Amino acid sequence: MSKFQPIEFYKNKSHSYELLPLRFEALDDENYVVTNMAGEYLTLPRDKLSKLVKHELTASDPDYVNLRARHFLVDDKTSIAKDLLAIKLRTKYSNLSEFTGLHIFVVSLRCEHSCPYCQVSRASDDKVAFDMSKEVADKSLDLALKAPAQNIKIEFQGGEPLLNFPLIQYIVERAESLRGSKNIGYVIATNLALINDEVLQFCKKYKVQISTSLDGPKDLHNHNRPRKGSNSYEKAIEGMASAREYLGKYSVSALMTTTKASLGRVKEIIDEYVNREFGGIFLRPLSPYGFALKTKTYAAYDAQKWHEFYVEGLEYIIELNRQGKEFREFYTALILSKILTSTEPGYVDLMSPAGIGIGAVVYNYDGKVFASDESRMLAEMGENKFEIGHVLKHSYEQIFLSDALLDPIEESFAYSVPMCNDCAFESYCGADPVFHYGIYKDYVGRKPDSEFCNRNMKIFKYLIKRMEEDPFVKKIFTEWAQPNA
Amino acid sequence: MEVQVLFDKQIYSVEAIKKAAYRFIDKFSAVISEEGPSYSCALNFPDKSSDNQVTRIVDDFKKEVLDQDLRESIKKETEGVRNLILAHTFSKAGLIKDE
Amino acid sequence: MLKLYGRGVAENFVLDRSRLFTLTKNPHLPIGERADKAFIVEGSLAPEGYGAYLTFESVEEVVQQNQLELPEEMSYIDEGDIARISPSGRISVIFRKKSPNNTFLLTERCNHYCLMCSQPPKDHDDSWLMEEAMEALELIPKDTVNIGYTGGEPTLYGDQFLELIAKTKQVLPNTAIDVLTNGRTFKDSSFAKRYAEIDHHDCLLGIPIYSDDPAQHDYVVQANGAFDETVQGILNLKRFNQKVEIRVVIHKQTIDRLVQTCEFIARNLIFVDHVALMGLEMMGFTRANLDKLWIDPYEYKNTLSKALEVLNSYGIKTSIYNHQLCVVNLDVKPNYVKSISDWKNEYVEECDSCIKKNECGGFFSSSKKYRYSDHIKAFR
Repeated sequence: MSKFQPIEFYKNKSHSYELLPLRFEALDDENYVVTNMAGEYLTLPRDKLSKLVKHELTASDPDYVNLRARHFLVDDKTSIAKDLLAIKLRTKYSNLSEFTGLHIFVVSLRCEHSCPYCQVSRASDDKVAFDMSKEVADKSLDLALKAPAQNIKIEFQGGEPLLNFPLIQYIVERAESLRGSKNIGYVIATNLALINDEVLQFCKKYKVQISTSLDGPKDLHNHNRPRKGSNSYEKAIEGMASAREYLGKYSVSALMTTTKASLGRVKEIIDEYVNREFGGIFLRPLSPYGFALKTKTYAAYDAQKWHEFYVEGLEYIIELNRQGKEFREFYTALILSKILTSTEPGYVDLMSPAGIGIGAVVYNYDGKVFASDESRMLAEMGENKFEIGHVLKHSYEQIFLSDALLDPIEESFAYSVPMCNDCAFESYCGADPVFHYGIYKDYVGRKPDSEFCNRNMKIFKYLIKRMEEDPFVKKIFTEWAQPNA
Repeated sequence: MEVQVLFDKQIYSVEAIKKAAYRFIDKFSAVISEEGPSYSCALNFPDKSSDNQVTRIVDDFKKEVLDQDLRESIKKETEGVRNLILAHTFSKAGLIKDE
Repeated sequence: MLKLYGRGVAENFVLDRSRLFTLTKNPHLPIGERADKAFIVEGSLAPEGYGAYLTFESVEEVVQQNQLELPEEMSYIDEGDIARISPSGRISVIFRKKSPNNTFLLTERCNHYCLMCSQPPKDHDDSWLMEEAMEALELIPKDTVNIGYTGGEPTLYGDQFLELIAKTKQVLPNTAIDVLTNGRTFKDSSFAKRYAEIDHHDCLLGIPIYSDDPAQHDYVVQANGAFDETVQGILNLKRFNQKVEIRVVIHKQTIDRLVQTCEFIARNLIFVDHVALMGLEMMGFTRANLDKLWIDPYEYKNTLSKALEVLNSYGIKTSIYNHQLCVVNLDVKPNYVKSISDWKNEYVEECDSCIKKNECGGFFSSSKKYRYSDHIKAFR
């Protein structure tokens, strides 16, 4: 005697279902990527997608169960999807109220390198003209501490910030005395040529992290980064070793700048990072700002070439992992967080609402406040659209509620913008009003023309394809995507 | 080089056509008008485009119109529940006042 | 398997009603403390004043009032154990001091009817079990590390369940609690809130989810609407910061979507404190439904590895329970736990020559008796 009901008893009674908000893009000739409101994806052949939308999909179709479980449709069986989607979205947006995360202090414009792609003008030894003053530093720090965020990061940039090391010390010490309940992390972005024991001792005391540049093997690095003595690479390596010895292996991180000379050499660049014992590399797209544009080195490569560079690099890294070497690509990891988890990594260029002001802000040596690093670079080119105030003249509210900041954020919000609001990848992508204004004189640009859109779309499709076709790739990508990875 | 594509008004909405045309703005410029029972799309390609390229792009454009049509259906059906979920999302995050 | 209950042969046994007794071997207890203790007779010594005297066949008869001769299989009883003894001579050991797995059955009533239920539901008033648990709390040693509450569905008691948790916190402030529940009662957010307000320092609710497909989950638990309510319950509990564990029993009805279920947990319930992936016990309904449920664990070991990989990749604390080491892949070892309650834990003959026997959790007594993997093989 069976008191148990068969499975049919528990299936949905009615054959009808309701769609939940979903968006799609073609992945390749046969398959489409479909994403739900929380940015979770599924791939489907086009005819299946059409059936789904036309309400012709039946419950016996194997895709039906997946679509229902992954929150693309609801039926009389279950409606918990709506609560779960709301929670996932809330998680994604929850950091919005914790702004501003990154505060960049440009303590000096002076530099002893002369890199062609640098947006900062080669400055003289004139400290008065090109160093941040104490007065500006004080006001900037006051503004930084006014941010609602519990946890902030203060990053010292330049030029070469160590050329004004005394001011760095001053700012850090003052910040520590004034921070109250805030947690502050400190970073110095330096070429390491000027690192010495005094600097290292200071960094150890205040747990300051070092961020440096490493463009690749010696010849590439030195080619990109000319310096008297042509020894930028040697200095960097030497500096890294000292810093690691003094501060610990993980106290130093490196960023590479992609230039024309880098293209075609991605494996060597990665090998350099592996040999220098870094846990990963950030294959950053070249920004179209500053000297790069002026000296036409930006025009020398286009989105396609960079994409090939990126793909070759990523594939090489996947192979390294397959052979047991743990190594990550950090730009990919940021995107994967957005694809595979509900966390928002807070990378300024891939945020919507735009990361300007919200993710980061720049206090320039001369007191001007810029909405982001790129905003400052654009100003160096003569376009100060994203200068949002002055530390000596404006209050916190005047700066952060200015039209100069709020207008681009509002107008570029991807959810409301043509093509982005239909795009399946909108939650992986960002609004980059600075990039678009710089190139197209428009916060939004026309996305089909936009190199930003093109580049990102190609990457999203590529990453999804790789995960779908290779379980090992899916596994390591999932690990890279975790927030505290 | 100019190509004309006609879309039956009974079947295609002008919104879908406009949105599809927008996606191809880097490949052709479009002028949309009414022609009797159809919408007419006059697609203008750069001179250097080959016949093959043009054919392929026009095909893709037609597919895109169908895709936009599908998107319209989805939007229409899910507008209400999307707003519901968004309201739910932000009311608890404290970004708007609690009801 | 330990015999936890039995019937003694009574000699001059006078008891007004069923009572809880703490068992002792100590003949020197102050007179005032003897009445509610049951003395375990080991020699010929049987000092006066104890509430009951427990002897075994092998022990010489001692003439005393309230003597109960127990079956030999119950000779494991020891100092500090707690037993219910009834006037008819029935004895049930409800707490063993040396056991790490003391669990109190609160009710046999349940609003589910799981295909593999090891404690088949009975719809009768057994609230005396709840009363007894409340009473036992006073007797349980204060240094007890952990106790469990199960059923049936414990939360069917509503506010009484909350009183039990509150009393446990008060009387045993250093004891952690594990509760097995389907979580549906917590879909009522005011109930979840009142539970949270008890603010127990370490109470874990173990809640099963058997599939990411609501139809499949509802089928396994034989209750329509269960999935939505269980998930709602979990969300409410987490809204109030309460500890939740998700339990998945692996069998033929849950294996097909095990990986997807873990993906569902990772995307929607990533905040849970722990996930347990568990092997099937051959008790209760399982045997009646064996044709629907049985799959040799050796057949699904790769799926298990994949499912675990998903949870590990997302950083979710996961344990694998109730499997033998020879039927799982090596890659699950970091998450593998020897989990079977001591009183029902056994090994088979093949295990005698196995070099990994000490690391292995072995079998449920019921599995050993009725059905286990065809691929048990000693590691050499």
